[in-house]
Amino acid sequence: MSRAAADIDPVVGRPALVAGEPGFHGVTEAVARPVEWKPPAGWYVAFAISLGMLGMLGVSVAWLFWEGVGIWGNNLPVAWGWPIVNFVFWVGIGHAGTLISAVLFLFRQKWRTSINRAAEAMTLFAVACALTFPTIHTGRPWLDYWMLPVPNQMSMWPQFRSPLMWDVFAVSIYGLVSLLFWYVGLIPDLATMRDRAKTRVRQVAYGLFALGWRGSQRHWWHYEKAYLLLAGLATPLVLSVHSVVSFDFAVSQLPGWHTTIFPPYFVAGAIFSGLAMVITLMVVCRVAFGLTHIITLLHFDRMAKLILLTGTIVGYAYGIEFFIAWFSGNPFEQFAFLNRALGPYAWAYWIMVSCNVISPQVFWLKRARTSIPVLFVVSILVNVGMWFERFVIVVTSLHRDFMPSSWGYFSPTFWDVATLVGSFGLFFTLFCLFVRFLPMVAMSEVKGVLPEAKSHGLPPDQTPEKPERAPAPRPGFAPEPEPTS
Amino acid sequence: MKLPKLPAPPWKRAAAPAPDTLLLAEYAGPDGLLAAADRVRRAGWADWDAHSPFPVHGMERAMGLAPSRVPWYVLVLGLGGAAGGMLLQWWVSAEAYPLVVSGKPYFSWPAFVPIMFECGVLGGALGAVAGFLAESRLPRHHHPLFDSARFERASDDRFFLSLGAAGREEGDRALRLLEETGPARIERLGPDGVAEVPAGTAGRRPPAARETDEPPARRDVPPEDAP
Amino acid sequence: MSHAPARSLTASEVTLPERHPLRKGGLVAAAVGALALVAVLALAAGDPRQALGSYLVAFLYWLSIALGGLFFTLAMLASRAGWCVVVRRLAEHLAGTLWVYALLFVPLAVGAAHLWPWWGGADPAEDPILAGKAGWLDPGFFWVRAAVYLAAWALLGWWFRRRSLAQDASADPGVTRRLQSLAAPAILVYAVTQTFAAFDWIMSLDPHWYSTIFGVYFFAGQAVAIFSVLALLAMALERGAKVEGERRPGPLAGVVTVEHYHDLGKLLFAFVVFWAYIAFSQFMLIWYGNIPEETVWYAHRLEHGWEGATWALAIGHFVLPFFFLLPRGVKRNRATLAAAAVWMLVVHYLDLYWLAMPAIHPEGFRPHVLDLVAWVGVGGLALGALAFALARPALVPVGDPRLPESLSFENM
Repeated sequence: MSRAAADIDPVVGRPALVAGEPGFHGVTEAVARPVEWKPPAGWYVAFAISLGMLGMLGVSVAWLFWEGVGIWGNNLPVAWGWPIVNFVFWVGIGHAGTLISAVLFLFRQKWRTSINRAAEAMTLFAVACALTFPTIHTGRPWLDYWMLPVPNQMSMWPQFRSPLMWDVFAVSIYGLVSLLFWYVGLIPDLATMRDRAKTRVRQVAYGLFALGWRGSQRHWWHYEKAYLLLAGLATPLVLSVHSVVSFDFAVSQLPGWHTTIFPPYFVAGAIFSGLAMVITLMVVCRVAFGLTHIITLLHFDRMAKLILLTGTIVGYAYGIEFFIAWFSGNPFEQFAFLNRALGPYAWAYWIMVSCNVISPQVFWLKRARTSIPVLFVVSILVNVGMWFERFVIVVTSLHRDFMPSSWGYFSPTFWDVATLVGSFGLFFTLFCLFVRFLPMVAMSEVKGVLPEAKSHGLPPDQTPEKPERAPAPRPGFAPEPEPTS
Repeated sequence: MKLPKLPAPPWKRAAAPAPDTLLLAEYAGPDGLLAAADRVRRAGWADWDAHSPFPVHGMERAMGLAPSRVPWYVLVLGLGGAAGGMLLQWWVSAEAYPLVVSGKPYFSWPAFVPIMFECGVLGGALGAVAGFLAESRLPRHHHPLFDSARFERASDDRFFLSLGAAGREEGDRALRLLEETGPARIERLGPDGVAEVPAGTAGRRPPAARETDEPPARRDVPPEDAP
Repeated sequence: MSHAPARSLTASEVTLPERHPLRKGGLVAAAVGALALVAVLALAAGDPRQALGSYLVAFLYWLSIALGGLFFTLAMLASRAGWCVVVRRLAEHLAGTLWVYALLFVPLAVGAAHLWPWWGGADPAEDPILAGKAGWLDPGFFWVRAAVYLAAWALLGWWFRRRSLAQDASADPGVTRRLQSLAAPAILVYAVTQTFAAFDWIMSLDPHWYSTIFGVYFFAGQAVAIFSVLALLAMALERGAKVEGERRPGPLAGVVTVEHYHDLGKLLFAFVVFWAYIAFSQFMLIWYGNIPEETVWYAHRLEHGWEGATWALAIGHFVLPFFFLLPRGVKRNRATLAAAAVWMLVVHYLDLYWLAMPAIHPEGFRPHVLDLVAWVGVGGLALGALAFALARPALVPVGDPRLPESLSFENM
C-alpha cells in the first residue's frame, strides 16, 4: 500500500484532518482571506456563465407563464415530464448536505468539518432550485397559494391526502430547517468575519447576522446543545423528505411506481447524487480558493466510500425491484420492467444503470478514491445517471401503462431543456455568491478538530467542587465525577 | 427527571450591579483557559465568562454550567408542532372541507402522518434556535468586550477570560485572581478606555510567569482564594 | 478527558475465569433447549402446522440476533469505528454461533410441506400466479438457496471471529486492515442473503403477496435486537460472579463504561425509529394504493383479533420505546437501558410472530404453548452455542489497535 494511502486510512491512530499544521490562525486566514480579497479570476468567469444560465431560466419561466405549460413536452399519457424529474433531482442533491452536516455529526465523523458549510449551502440552493418547479408548473401560477392552508373566501382547503401536498410541506420545511441549521453553524464564523472586517460596511453586514457572538463558553454550551438537537432533527428529516417525494410515485397504482422499497431507495439515491455534487463542487473550489490543505484527499476518500455505499444500495433496490416484479406474477409489473430495459427508452435505462451501478464500483480501489480526475468524472456521471433514473421512473411507467390504447411517447422540447439548464444557472449563481461573500469552510468547527484544540482536562486533583447550580443527581453506576457538595 | 425551573419574568429579576471594570485575560491555548476557568469558579467569582473560537471540551465542568434548557424548548415545540400538524389536517379533512378522495375515510390518519412528522420537525428546529438564542440572551450586538481590539482574536485563535468588577477593591482582587492563572496578557476595560495591565501589577507574581500560559495547578501554588 | 495514558488490556483480564458459572450455564441451556425441542417434536404429531409455525418464529428470533451480531461486526469494521471495540468481540461471538442455525434449520426442512403452502406445487389452471413462480418456489431450488444463505452466514461469522481472535495473540494491525477491507464486500453478501432468506422463509408463507421492502424490514428487526442484546450481554459480563466460593468482578467491569452504553442506547433508539419508518412505509403505501392483492396481507392482520397484536406492535415497538429512550439520562443508566433492551427483545418476538403467524392462524391471534416451548428450545441451543463461544477466548479484542481509543471513549 502506498504511503499516501496508508496516511489517510491508518489502522493505528486517526489521520490528520488538516494538512500542514496551520494552527488556528492559519485556518482562519486560509478560509477568510479569499472572501475578503478579490476572488480568483475563475470566479468571474463562473459567475458570468451562471448568470447567463440564470437568464435562460428567467426567459423560460417568463415564456411559460405567458404561453402556458404547452411549451413543455408533457402530453398524455406522459402528463409528468421533465419538471417533476428536475424537482426530484434537485431535492435529491440537497440531501447530501444534510447528511454531511447532521448525520455525519451524529456519527462523530470529524472529517465532515471541512466540507459541511459548503455542503449545507449546496442543500439550500438545491432546495431553492427544486421549489421553482412546483411553483412554475401549475399552469396558473397566480393560484399557487391554493396549495397552502390559507383561509379564503371560497371556504376551500388543500387536499391533505395528496402526496403533492406532503411535498409542499416537506420540501418547504426541509428548506427552512436546513436554513436554520446552516445559519446557526455560521454564527461563530460570521463573528470571525466581523472581527476581521476592514470596512465599516462589512463589519455591519457580518456583525448584524453574527448576533453579537463573542465566543462565550456559556453561549457555546447552549449552541452545542442546539446544534446536536438540530442534527438529531435533521437526520429523520433527510429520511422523511425524500421518502415523501418518493410517495409521489409509490402511492399510485402504476406498475414500476407502486413498490414499497421506494422510500429508502430514493433516500439512498438522493444522498448518492448529492455527494457526487459535493465532490464536483469541492474539486473545483478547493483549488480555486487555495484550500487543498483543508479539503484533502482524505475527505474525498470518505465521500467516495459513501458514494459506493449509497450507489450499492441503489443497485440493490434495482435488483430487488426486478426480482419482485417477476415474483409478483403481475403481468403489468413484469412488462413495465422489461419495457424499461428493452423498450423505446432502453437507451435511458442503460445510461442510468451504467452511471449509477457500474461507474461508482471503481471506488472499491483506493487509487480511484484519491484521484481527482476520477473523482470529478465519476461524480458527474453519477449525477447524470441519477437524473436519468428519475427520468426512467417517471416516463417509462407513464408512457406504457395498463392499456395499449393509451400508450404514447414523450419527447422534451427546447423549453424543457432550457428550464433545466436555467435551474443549474440558479444553483451555480447562488453558489458563486456564497463562496464570494461567506466563508465556505466552517472555521470554528475545523479548529475544534485540530490536534491543538484537544484540551487535556482538569488536572486530577482539581475535580469540580461547587458548581454554580447543583447538577441533577445521576442514578445508576455512572462512573462520572460526582460533585462533592 | 427534574423539571427545570422557569426563568423569572423580566420585571422580577433583580438588576445586577453593572461592573465598571472588565478585566480580560488572554491565553494561548485551551488548556490554559480551562485551568483558569476552574480557578475562577472555585474562587466563587460571580460575574465572569470564558471566550474561545470553538467550544473547549470539558469547559462545562470547569465553569460549573448547569445542563442547558434548550432540549425542553425542542421537546415542547416539537410535540406541539406535530400535534398542530395533525390537528390542522384532521380539521380540514374531516370538519371544514370533507371530501371523499379515492375512497379514503375523512380522517385518513396514515396519509396525515408525513405532514404531522414534518410539522413536528419544524417545531423542534424552531425550538432549538429559539432556545439557543433565548438562553444565550442573543442577539446582543453591543457589549463592552468589543471595545478591546485584542478581543477580536477570540474568534480567531486566542482564548480569553473576562471578569467584571465593580469598584476599585474588587478590581484589585480580580486582577490578583487573574494573575494567578498565568495568562499571556491582561487588559483592563474601564470607563477611561482600554489598557494593558503590565505584568506584576498585583505584586504577587514574578513577571516571568507571564511568558507562558501554563495552568498554575502544575506548579506549587498555594490556592489562597479557595473558599 | 483524563490525564491517564492510553490503556490496554491483557487477554487474561477479560476472559471468563475457569470455573465461571457461564460455562456450566451453557451446557444447562443446551440441555434444556434440547429437551424443549424434543417436546416440540412430540407435540408436533398432533398439530404439525402449529408446531412448525412456532418453531419458525423461534428460529427466526434467535437467528435475527446472531445475524445482527454479524451485521454489527461488519458495519463497525467497515466504518473504522473506534468506540465499539470493547463490545465488538461480543458481536463476533454471536456471529460465530451462526453455524448452529444450519443444524436448527433441519426441522423446518423436514416439515416444510406443512409450513409453506406452495410446497406441493401449483396447478396452472387453478392458480396461474403461483404456477408462474414455481421456478423459484420449488423445493429443490429452495434447498439450494437455504444452503447458500446458511453456509454464507456460518462462514462469515466463523471467519471474522477467528481472524479477530488470532489478533489477540499477535496484536498485528495487519489483521485489522484485512478485516476492514473484507467487511465491505461481506456486508453486500449479508444484505442480499438476508433479504432473500426473508423472502423465502417469511414472505412466501403468503405466496401471492410481495413487498420489495420486506428484506429491509427483516434487517431493521435484527438491528434492534442486536443493540439490545449487546447492552444486556455486556452488563451481564460486567457483573461479578461467585467462582469457587469467592466473588470476582466480571471480566468487563471497568472496561465497558456508561459511555459505551450511551452509544448502544443511541443506536437502539435510532433503529427503533428506522424500524418504524420501514414498517410505516410498507403499511402506508399498501393502504394508499388499496390494491386487494397487496392489502390482503394487512387485512389478515387487522381482522379476527389480529388487530390487537398490530396495535400492540405499533405502540410497543415504536411509540413507547421512542419516548422512553429519548432522554439522555435513560441511555446513560444501566438499569433503564437494560429495561428498554429487555422490552425491545420482547416486542421483537411479537414482530416476528406477527409476520409469520397470521398465515398459520388466519382465524385469529392464537398464542399456543408450543410458541414458548419452541422459543425455549431454539434459544437453549443458541445460548449454549454462545456460551461455548464466549467461555474461553478474550471477551475484548485485546490486540485491536483501536482498543485504547475505545477504552478512553467519552461521548459528546
